[in-house]
Amino acid sequence: MLHQALILTSNREYAQAMRQGLLKLGHERTRVDVELDAVRAMQLAPQQYELILLDTVLDTMDGLQLLQLIKHQAPASKFILVSDSADETSRAVAYQNGADFFLERPRTPKAFALALEAIRGLFKPAAGGEPPQDDADAPVVNIADIVQMRCLSGDSVLLLARSQYQSGEIFIFRGEIFHAQYPGKSGEAAFRDMLLWNGGFVRIKAAKLTNIPPRTIETPYRELLETVQKPGAGRPDIGQTGGELYVVSGEPAPDTAASVAVREAPPREDAAPAFFPDPRALAGGETLLPRLNSHWKVSLSGDLMEGSQVAEPDRCAFITSFIYRKLADVAVALEVDYFNHMTLLGPHLQQVLVADNMGVRHAVFDTAWTTEELRVQYVKWCCEQSF
Amino acid sequence: MNKAFEKIALIEGMIAAALVSEEGKLAGWCANSAISPDNLCFIAETCRGILSANRAEQRPAHTGVVAFGNRTLVFREGGPGLFIAYLDSPTNDAVLKWLFDQVNPLLEAEGVKLE
Repeated sequence: MLHQALILTSNREYAQAMRQGLLKLGHERTRVDVELDAVRAMQLAPQQYELILLDTVLDTMDGLQLLQLIKHQAPASKFILVSDSADETSRAVAYQNGADFFLERPRTPKAFALALEAIRGLFKPAAGGEPPQDDADAPVVNIADIVQMRCLSGDSVLLLARSQYQSGEIFIFRGEIFHAQYPGKSGEAAFRDMLLWNGGFVRIKAAKLTNIPPRTIETPYRELLETVQKPGAGRPDIGQTGGELYVVSGEPAPDTAASVAVREAPPREDAAPAFFPDPRALAGGETLLPRLNSHWKVSLSGDLMEGSQVAEPDRCAFITSFIYRKLADVAVALEVDYFNHMTLLGPHLQQVLVADNMGVRHAVFDTAWTTEELRVQYVKWCCEQSF
Repeated sequence: MNKAFEKIALIEGMIAAALVSEEGKLAGWCANSAISPDNLCFIAETCRGILSANRAEQRPAHTGVVAFGNRTLVFREGGPGLFIAYLDSPTNDAVLKWLFDQVNPLLEAEGVKLE
């Protein structure tokens, strides 16, 4: 039975049709993701997918090369290469690079039905008694126990954890928790969440650590595991099995906006977006501050740094800081870097927030007197000030 | 609603979109990227929190545009809930108009009027 699949293609119509077909192959909780961006696909954890369909030709990358890379990370996943033409060279290279199946892109309902039947066949248990590829046979274990055991042994291992609804990875390198991730979250916050999945009891598979991701967890594993405890216990006793795990009261919540803002989505100096004025091109500082109602700047810690026409400084600092933290949460959920600028359009007022590595600038404009040019001018002015 | 979102998914540059009701339920969604429906729901609720906080500050807003590098998150609050769209491009007022000129008729065909 298919639980989770990924379609990696540049062809939206085909993706939508194939997604519908694959959903029918699974059950009500089957998830089929579509990814149009090959670069982003490389940031995903391919181990979570049992089936990955990818095109031989993608917009920004050669699918055959990408197959080789992903196959290395997810040897247990099934890979289907989809090509617009069934040329023998592509077919040969696909199988050579680890594809389980080569498919000419279906274009008619009949071709789709045949393709889906072939895919269904990939998930049938082999006559020779080959074990199923899903991890339904993996025992349900206490995730904290397994992590502690692996860390104590000084292992380097990738733990694939699957709860009833989610799946994620924990990277342990030389006895320390190095990185954890599940769709939408990574780092310490992700690890803490995973400890609470199904009350701490999940199916776990250990896999060879074939790549070491950037380190996102600096806290020693003992400290991380000590933040969970069982009801009635003064200290967490992760040596036992059974019981639920709770975050110790008094500890900061694992995914508070502030903690996420600091750990998960740091502003990157090299992330200069194309639409955003390039500060280097604006070094002259020639842009004038446009006409506006009021504007101010808060630091990353939420303190008001400067402002003009600010009636209630504390409230202004609070709302800017609030939006800043909320957008940090959104950035984590979208798996992108921190926001560059934001525009809020209202019937009477328009607001523009511009973030840099030092803080956030916030301006309020009268809708009746504001044009897009003025808002862009403010963004440019902010860039120059940052520079 | 699925029909509308199947077509919204085909809008040029669309990475993901969702409509979340006032009760926080996902009324419809689509994604051309591995963004889960739970995450879309979470993002919509966070955007709703931003709009709500601004209302409390006497600065009501109905639409938000957030630039994340070359990608843009657009959200708009209306009667039936909050609509979000995540686009693979920068955005300006013209793009915003172009987007809602396509989205509004599709949602209206399903009985949802954002404005």
